[in-house]
Amino acid sequence: MINYQLRLLTLCILLITTLPDLLMAQLERRTADIDESVSLTFMAPRNINLYTVESLSKGELHYSILHTFGPVNSGARNLFGIDAGANVRFSFEYGITDRFSLGLGRSSLDKNIALSSRIALLRQNPAEGMPVSVSFVPSVGINTVDPDFLPGNYIPTDRINYGFSLPVARKFNDKLSLQLSPMLVHFNRVGPELNIMDPEVNTYYSVGFAGRYKIKPRMALSFQYIPPLTDAEDLNANLALGIDIETGGHVFQMFFTTSRALNDPYLIAGDNGDFFAREFRFGFNVNRLFQLN
Amino acid sequence: MKILTAICVSLLCLLIPDQDSRAQSFTAESGYVEFVSSAPLLEFKGTSNHLTGLINLDKNLVDFYVDLNTLDTGIDLRNNHMRESYLETDTYRFAEFTGELVSDIDPDFELEQEVTVTGTFKIHGVEREIDVQGTITPKESGLQLDAGWTILLEDYNIDKPRVVFYELASEQDVNISILLKPQD
Repeated sequence: MINYQLRLLTLCILLITTLPDLLMAQLERRTADIDESVSLTFMAPRNINLYTVESLSKGELHYSILHTFGPVNSGARNLFGIDAGANVRFSFEYGITDRFSLGLGRSSLDKNIALSSRIALLRQNPAEGMPVSVSFVPSVGINTVDPDFLPGNYIPTDRINYGFSLPVARKFNDKLSLQLSPMLVHFNRVGPELNIMDPEVNTYYSVGFAGRYKIKPRMALSFQYIPPLTDAEDLNANLALGIDIETGGHVFQMFFTTSRALNDPYLIAGDNGDFFAREFRFGFNVNRLFQLN
Repeated sequence: MKILTAICVSLLCLLIPDQDSRAQSFTAESGYVEFVSSAPLLEFKGTSNHLTGLINLDKNLVDFYVDLNTLDTGIDLRNNHMRESYLETDTYRFAEFTGELVSDIDPDFELEQEVTVTGTFKIHGVEREIDVQGTITPKESGLQLDAGWTILLEDYNIDKPRVVFYELASEQDVNISILLKPQD
């Protein structure tokens, strides 16, 4: 009898001393209700050559240097194309808002200076039922080659070309992202003086297909395929395979690609070698992100 | 037997919350927290406006936490890295502090006062005892608490990026600024 009562008393005392702590304890840990739209569909604003759906944050500056070399099948003596020198493209892109950025770039191929913009139209968001991200990337470029290399009757607007792409991408999971890029490009004036295949066609279009697959936390395999859909002479598909490596502020991209071009108009209209006959080139991109406030 | 039962019942009655005990409780859900990394070549901040906190004077309980997925350093790529590879927020979602006030406090909060709290700070699965100095300033709607302390990443098993382009300091200054309102 007494044992039972003592146990009950002990239990009561234990309850009194511990329950208040349990009742008046810490705040319940709840996860924040934040924007769950998918970010980082791709590691950088460019996947090999194509613009991706990635938009920059407000105040973010993306600086990239892109390179492609000569064809690998030029052999060991030419260091597999490295000796041919590089087509280099410098570009800066700055986020004006979280959804809108402006860019400026220059390719050494046809000395093309281009102004571009990237507008994030839709963001993939599983919580809101949005399955894809969509951006719009218009650009206008100008060929700044010495007039001596152009026919005498060139007027300034002849040098202008336009590119429009509408990348649509989906991040399927942490590892796999795929993108379709409908593209339309137009050269105001064409002819043999330009580095394009058909000197008689001004407007080209295609739907590029790009993707990346993460193999390690900061390394991914990437690919790109742009079929030659335009009715023009001598166009081949663009095919590129590469590796992306993130190191915090930098994303390094190394790849083999069939085109020497580094901007949309020339990717579609320019020369693309036959990948399986080793008519491809080594290229690499260095992407660096800065926050300017 | 009856006396013992009577004693047990009275003791249990002590559990009934006292109505007055909740008057000295202050909470908030969108406080500001930042960490500042000052390395030789790069200074950057990670900030969040989702700091949630509680100060209960009756129980002398100070409790704060933040969802680390809300920390933003301004660059998406850097945020992604920070959450996935270094803070590992999938496993350790919150940074938390639980402790008590150890300085004398004027419960009427007429003027700005310096306070010291002592307690456990937990991040990335590691807990450490720390002391934090802060200031409580009375405002019309509640109490403004500003405080700061320093942490060392290695103390909490937080890896540093190996490739030094990133420039992340070992020592991080943590600052909070939160307006706590009376809970009723």
